[in-house]
Amino acid sequence: MWRPMSRKGRGPAARPRSGRGGGPTGAQKRLAAQRAVAAAAGAQAARRRRLVTVLAPVAVVIAVAAILVAVKVASGSSGPKSGIKPAAAAQSVTGAVTGVPAAVLNQIGTGDLTTPPTPLTGAPLTAGGKPRVLFVGAEWCPYCAAERWSLVVALSRFGTFSGLGEVSSSPSDVFPNTATLSLHGASYSSQYLSLTAKEIFSNQVSGGSYQSLDKLDAADEALFTSVGKNSFPFIDIGGKYLISGSSYDPGVLKGKTQAQIATALADPSSPIAKAIDGSANVITAALCKLTGNQPAGVCSATGVIAAASALPSG
Amino acid sequence: MPSTRPSGLASLVVALAGLAVSAYLTVEHFSLGATLACPESATINCQKVTTSHWSHLGPIPVAVLGLVFFAAMAALCVPSMWQRRALDPVRVAVALVGVVTALVLVWIELFRIDAVCLWCTAVHVCSLVLLATVLWTTSAIRADPAAARSSST
Repeated sequence: MWRPMSRKGRGPAARPRSGRGGGPTGAQKRLAAQRAVAAAAGAQAARRRRLVTVLAPVAVVIAVAAILVAVKVASGSSGPKSGIKPAAAAQSVTGAVTGVPAAVLNQIGTGDLTTPPTPLTGAPLTAGGKPRVLFVGAEWCPYCAAERWSLVVALSRFGTFSGLGEVSSSPSDVFPNTATLSLHGASYSSQYLSLTAKEIFSNQVSGGSYQSLDKLDAADEALFTSVGKNSFPFIDIGGKYLISGSSYDPGVLKGKTQAQIATALADPSSPIAKAIDGSANVITAALCKLTGNQPAGVCSATGVIAAASALPSG
Repeated sequence: MPSTRPSGLASLVVALAGLAVSAYLTVEHFSLGATLACPESATINCQKVTTSHWSHLGPIPVAVLGLVFFAAMAALCVPSMWQRRALDPVRVAVALVGVVTALVLVWIELFRIDAVCLWCTAVHVCSLVLLATVLWTTSAIRADPAAARSSST
């Protein structure tokens, strides 16, 4: 890099005389070398000052961030908190959820559905010669808490659940303590459909994270990763439709118990029924696509036909 | 066509990267209905962070503030702006405000929300790297203004 030399250094008194042949003398060469060394040292010092100017504030910021993280870790207050312990669902709750009156479902249609299923184009999902539904959830997850209600209402129109649990979502996440059912340990029998329901995590914390519950087999794990993008809830409806997340606003369930939610499902004017029953009708319409509109009594219901219009064509 | 030092261009690139991530977070903020899902990890949880009541400063979403910050920094870091010496203290001051804000947001994530958003962390890193590149370029111009002028034209 060219720099103008100082006037002092270029004055005649400072300039050594040239040799007889016009070439630099030994003194000139030494002076030039000294100047070069001094210039290099000056440049190095300036570079060091610039480095300090930049690195000092950056180091301070990194140190402050590191202290914050260290304090957080040391305080032991980090991470999620345990929710209400799971228990077997009350008979009155399961009865109300698995037996929502057809008239109410027909009246609600799509209700307050916000996010319909999206179509899938992969291979059909089957088991034992029947279309298969894959549910992957976590008991701590508030969006799973919302979606389970609709899924259970819908699947109950094609078969029978047993062993359903009651649980609440995490108290330390969004929509805290949302009351819901648990599919961990539940079984489902249907002549039309097969269900694989896995709750990957509980709502109980151990060692700073939620305890593991069910395991996916390799094929379902691959689907959860590739199609579900590792998000809960993941519902693959026969390889034909995908539900990733909640189909309605979980806020509608705020502060309600399982019993209150289950009771509200039969009231078509209730916001809870409009959300849950509406989403259930859309899931039912998607299931009817898999079963060839069987059973006819369910798939030809006016609520299901109305909900089918909300399904995107796949 | 104006050009500037590599570190000046780096500051523009970092500002644009921060702008892109802030734009994503802003879109997510205003379209939450499309992503009502839980991540596999409860601690690394963008939704919990971006939907908490800390995600607003008054009526303004923090994501929008980030968008405005990086848009302003990108405008201040275009090559022609680096030629205006009067903007040097403004550029450094705005970058410092960004980093201090990022530290406050990290504190809020850790001690108030109990969750970390990786996209937000990417924005925080961008603001720190932006400060470093702005300081480096500013000090280089101060040390060698003649070279800065010649390389900026």
